[in-house]
Amino acid sequence: MKNFFRKVAFGIGPNEEVPSDPLAWALNQLDDVPDLTWKGRIPSGKEMIEKYARKNEIELKKVRKKYKDDKKLLKIGIERLNNETGLHFWPSLELSIRHTEAMYSNSPVLAKLWFFWSNHFAIVDGGFRTAFYTGPYEREIIRPNLNQTFEKLVYDATTSPAMISSLDNSENIGPKSKIGKKNKKSSSINENHARELLELHTVSPAAGYTQEDITQLAYIMTGWMNGYSKSTGDTLPVEFNKDRHQPGKKTIFGKTYKSGKKGLANVIKDLVNHPNCRDFIATKLCRYLITDNPTEEMKRPIIKAFKDSDGFLPEIHKAAIRVAFEYNDQYQKFQKPENWFLQMAKLADFSWPSSPTIMDLYEVGNKPQLAHTQPHGKLWSLGHNPYGSKQPNGFSDFEVDWISPELLIRRLVFAKDCFELTKSKNNNFKFYKNIVKKNFDNPERIFKYLEKANKPYEIQILLFNHPEFLRA
Amino acid sequence: MKISRRDFLKGTATTLFLAGFNLPALATTSKKKNLVVIMLRGGMDGLCAVPIIGDKRFEKKRKSILIENTIKLNSDFALHPRLIGFNKCWNDNTGSIVHATSIPYTQRSHFEGQNLMESGGRTPYQEKTGWVGRAMKLANLQGDGLALSLPMPLLLRGIPKNNNYFPADGRLPRKDTLDLLRSVYADSSEDELLEMMDFIKKRKDEQMMGGTSGRGKRKNKNLARQAATYLRKSDGPRVAVFEVNGFDTHAAQGGVDGTHTKCLVEMDEIINNLRDNLQEAYKDTIILTVTEFGRTIKQNGGNGTEHGYGTAIFMAGGLLKKSQVHTDWPGLKRKEMYEGRDLNATIDARSVYASAMSTVFDLDFKRIQKDVFWGEDLQNLSDKLFKA
Repeated sequence: MKNFFRKVAFGIGPNEEVPSDPLAWALNQLDDVPDLTWKGRIPSGKEMIEKYARKNEIELKKVRKKYKDDKKLLKIGIERLNNETGLHFWPSLELSIRHTEAMYSNSPVLAKLWFFWSNHFAIVDGGFRTAFYTGPYEREIIRPNLNQTFEKLVYDATTSPAMISSLDNSENIGPKSKIGKKNKKSSSINENHARELLELHTVSPAAGYTQEDITQLAYIMTGWMNGYSKSTGDTLPVEFNKDRHQPGKKTIFGKTYKSGKKGLANVIKDLVNHPNCRDFIATKLCRYLITDNPTEEMKRPIIKAFKDSDGFLPEIHKAAIRVAFEYNDQYQKFQKPENWFLQMAKLADFSWPSSPTIMDLYEVGNKPQLAHTQPHGKLWSLGHNPYGSKQPNGFSDFEVDWISPELLIRRLVFAKDCFELTKSKNNNFKFYKNIVKKNFDNPERIFKYLEKANKPYEIQILLFNHPEFLRA
Repeated sequence: MKISRRDFLKGTATTLFLAGFNLPALATTSKKKNLVVIMLRGGMDGLCAVPIIGDKRFEKKRKSILIENTIKLNSDFALHPRLIGFNKCWNDNTGSIVHATSIPYTQRSHFEGQNLMESGGRTPYQEKTGWVGRAMKLANLQGDGLALSLPMPLLLRGIPKNNNYFPADGRLPRKDTLDLLRSVYADSSEDELLEMMDFIKKRKDEQMMGGTSGRGKRKNKNLARQAATYLRKSDGPRVAVFEVNGFDTHAAQGGVDGTHTKCLVEMDEIINNLRDNLQEAYKDTIILTVTEFGRTIKQNGGNGTEHGYGTAIFMAGGLLKKSQVHTDWPGLKRKEMYEGRDLNATIDARSVYASAMSTVFDLDFKRIQKDVFWGEDLQNLSDKLFKA
């Protein structure tokens, strides 16, 4: 039963009480979205984009032009600009904020679901986008919607600067729009965002849409773009540019939508109310929490909660957590690397992430110190940097994708190397015994092996690569 | 039951070694044949990589992303000028292209398409194994697969004990600790973890963690060097799988220095480094590419291309019959294109893959057709494309 604390959150830390009613403990975290636990600076998305992304974009063009004949100088120029805009620092700050929420907040279950939705609406990696857009997007678009409706979440994610940039919707121009008619050569629809809105974000291919449905949705989405001017690049707020919008009616799944800005909201409303959307979301939640192959019985209560509450996320989340609780002893799932790392960090009471004091010492303009870039680097080498999604479908939730020799090697190396993050007061068998008792139903079964370890760091390797810890 | 040739050789290798024979001599007679698959994720644009020559329709539709200074391959097709490694293969008669081909999937979704290019099936997410994995099982090649990527690709699933190589930073724990952990896995009947642990212990002995420092060692061109050193060993893996990401260029696909080119060059570096580092073993190897679909003929407003259908397969290695562009060209008139927008596919890509595996794994084409591809209607291209 105790693996439930890791299944829906990140385990019980050495100084935490084991909740007497685990289900109630989990459900109580889902109604409100509290402020972030991180005590250091939290830059706003507006600041990130208008101050740093803008400077980076504009200056980069100048640097490229200035040093176009000297590769060496170009490299130095780009590096200097990256430091001037904090490009290498921000992702680690964002990960620190994220990890603090998982390890030290009073709502780790909500954090787990926050991570789920951030991955569902994944932003494709790109140095620039990862640095300035992805973190604020997760904090300001995904997180505040965790106690709103799924419909609102979809709309906000779809019209966010990060997603529009990730899926190229700024390039989506109606050929019959005012601008389309003027610049015939450079104007056409770009289907990328429309396709993923259907496939990845809402109804999934099971809904049986056609290429024509995708094209029509792309027409509805024409004109939605990251605001652009010559002096700012495309770092102005997201706008609906009616001069780029394809005029005329559009038809999706047999339903007709009028042209204009409201088309997008109207079509999203219908997409989230499509039966395949409910089924898809229920499947993904069950897969995330319980098993690669969710059964109809597992999905049913989540689908019902979705329908009954008109897609109110706290109700959907509660239904999913209840199902996870019900099937807890029947299914244990191999944990994804970041999840595994956070559980280890929490149980072993690592000095992780770098403290707000240290992170706040960084001044934009300087080259960041190791402590300022460590989270980003560590998660890369672990093989699962949540801001490093190569494709818009995010990281796989199938455990079978995460079981391979290299990924086990990383866990072995990490469990060993992370010993530098343990606090010296915890370097004793008693400490590990305590956390094992709190997090496992049959602690004796694990002690048996830990007792064979010669050194404290060996305890860590054995415990955090024990089959019972690798799964939850 | 027929004893597989490879198992037989494995057995004799030990004996001969003990008797004082040197292994390299044996390796040359054993004819271990290798298959390398490079997965091109995102939809590789066959017409950017291997453009058709002198088709006005094509040139008109791609005005701002047309590749210039291409290398002429024959009277109909040219090669992207940055594909230097492949061009070397072409020039020494070990580089081929199959054009206007695709897996039988026309829905243009990346994720369904990538699932199908690996499973070899027709229904997305239905098959839980990959076409290479199933063929390896048929050829009894357990423990002979190597993925040069982190997650184990679906393509190799279907046979247990595949390895992967994608070097981490840091060092493995000492042997005693690994042994202790191995005993935990053994005691709790964790077969899968146990298998992995055996790979890892072997790797520790080989001291594979080092090599080039930093992130460089995880770059495909360096992984290719490493893979080649394994593949050329007589007891090394026989199948290696790479992946190159980023072919999905909806915007700024660019011309000769664009994003699509960057991805093609990454593919080319794999081919080039395999070729150089496989040494003698290159002549007993087939390297080939897979992708989920091609891209639209017409460029879009953002100088990119949309998801399409027909594309090209690159092949290299000494087991190729000759350098050629093998195609049944469908043409690019509106009526000739798929849904009036994409290059059509006139060859089922799986026919190429089944034929290649028939050559490399010494399996009858019909058996592969039946047991790997469910008896689907595939063409045996072995005689046309590969050496007997």
